[in-house]
Amino acid sequence: MSENIERRRFLKSAGMCSLILTPLAGCSVKEDADSAHKPHYVMVFDQNKCVGCGDCKTACNQANNLPAGVSRVILEQQSGRVEGQACPHCGKMVCDCERKFVRVSCQQCKNAPCVTVCPTGAAHRDAKTGIVTMDASKCAGCKYCIGACPYNARLINNNTDVADNCDFCLHSKLSKGELPACVQSCKYDALIFGDANDPQSYVSKLLAVKDSVRIKPQFGTEPSLRYIPIVKLGV
Amino acid sequence: MDTSMDFTLGLSQGVAWPWPIAVYLFFAGISGGALTIALALRFYLGQVENTAFLKAATLLSFVTISLGMLCLVLDLTNPLFFWRILVFYNLNSVMSIGVIALSVYIPLVAVVALLALEKELMAIPQLKFLAPIIAKLKGFRRPMEALALVLALSVCAYTGFLISALIRFPLINTSVLPALFIASGLSAGGASAKMLAVWLFKEPLHSGEMKILHGAEWPIMFAEAMFIFMIATALLTGNAGGQFAFAAFHEGVWASVFWIGVVGIGFAAPLLLNFATGKHFSHSAKAFYMSGMCAVVGMMCLRLFILLAGQNYAI
Repeated sequence: MSENIERRRFLKSAGMCSLILTPLAGCSVKEDADSAHKPHYVMVFDQNKCVGCGDCKTACNQANNLPAGVSRVILEQQSGRVEGQACPHCGKMVCDCERKFVRVSCQQCKNAPCVTVCPTGAAHRDAKTGIVTMDASKCAGCKYCIGACPYNARLINNNTDVADNCDFCLHSKLSKGELPACVQSCKYDALIFGDANDPQSYVSKLLAVKDSVRIKPQFGTEPSLRYIPIVKLGV
Repeated sequence: MDTSMDFTLGLSQGVAWPWPIAVYLFFAGISGGALTIALALRFYLGQVENTAFLKAATLLSFVTISLGMLCLVLDLTNPLFFWRILVFYNLNSVMSIGVIALSVYIPLVAVVALLALEKELMAIPQLKFLAPIIAKLKGFRRPMEALALVLALSVCAYTGFLISALIRFPLINTSVLPALFIASGLSAGGASAKMLAVWLFKEPLHSGEMKILHGAEWPIMFAEAMFIFMIATALLTGNAGGQFAFAAFHEGVWASVFWIGVVGIGFAAPLLLNFATGKHFSHSAKAFYMSGMCAVVGMMCLRLFILLAGQNYAI
């Protein structure tokens, strides 16, 4: 094929392309303009401050009336040592070196697979706050959301027989103007909550100066939970 | 930042979708596969009469999809909530689109079966009241069968799309899955409808129609094996998550289900029964039923393997 594209043909195709692409571009601009005015609630978990006391879990269970044995948030205890081997730091077989905790809960994805797959729209994004939450009266209990969540962070509530997730206490606390129960109960300030779209909020300022990571960002779900890892090396 | 964080605990224990869903996928595949083969054959040969194979396939199709629905409803955390899935819709959800397809497919299969089994049903005195309904429906038979053919294929493919949307399971989250489920649905659906046609509707074992069906089986089986090979290769040559999930093929109980159930019973046994035995045996009714059963068992094992091994190797 010739390297030179005919002028007429070039103009024709350029015209066609713009005809096809213009409406699409319009769509995305509109969406951006809308979301600019909406809050984006985020939570920051600071691993350096968490001592694993579990107060957050207790407060969550109470605030959201969860039945026994069901939790919307748990803590995973991690350590660098291998079970059955001596600790590389202190040499003992049983020790508390390198103990650290990770908050396990709904990651409040901006691009949430549970919302996409839910056949009834029970798992949905709250119109005002953008928080992923449940309409328990619509949930059929098919567990599609549980399978679709890349974080295994959704659960079945035995009291209601429907799916459940951490929704930043949207109905129990946030609607009353309070902070989420876990954030309120944390004695060590390991949890920070706020609107990342508001440049004056504490979370915005914190995230601007602190390095934070997200869990499994490769799934492209854009989680709203940020984690500040322990970076201490050695003793 | 040169560090990352991860957690391995989950808030729900065990697999989200246990074996009843695999049984549902199996029944839906048989239903869609049997009806697709019967109607495709009907259009291809330009048949107007009710053949034994059509009768068997439509009856089987209706019974299996009904049993499949039963599995589906019983697997809900509270089966009494099943109506919510029929009332509320989310068109972004594969499941919701499937519900729409199934709610047209199931009554349509019932009607297609009613027309195919007209003579048999009219022989029962209690069912005489159906005669005027059948007479009315006959006028729309051709378009209804065409729609049923499209929906039958959709139901087969839908079961694949349904689970391939689960992004954290590399074995399940593949684009080949709907094609694999269509191929395995066609082979097991065709085999079970053939067996039913011979056993219940007395179709001769070596009729012209049966010959065409026997001939179609091998290319379908080859396609099925190739799709499985594609999935395995994609995992083996893929990223760390894929390579982790590849272990499903060579370790644990699901690897046995795959090699004994899918490969041994599903592929090798019918091939051996038909080509490694004497002509006398391979043309007998015994060999016919045995290889048919092998195809059905192989497909059940395939669905179990994909769904459960898939969910066990999450990233």
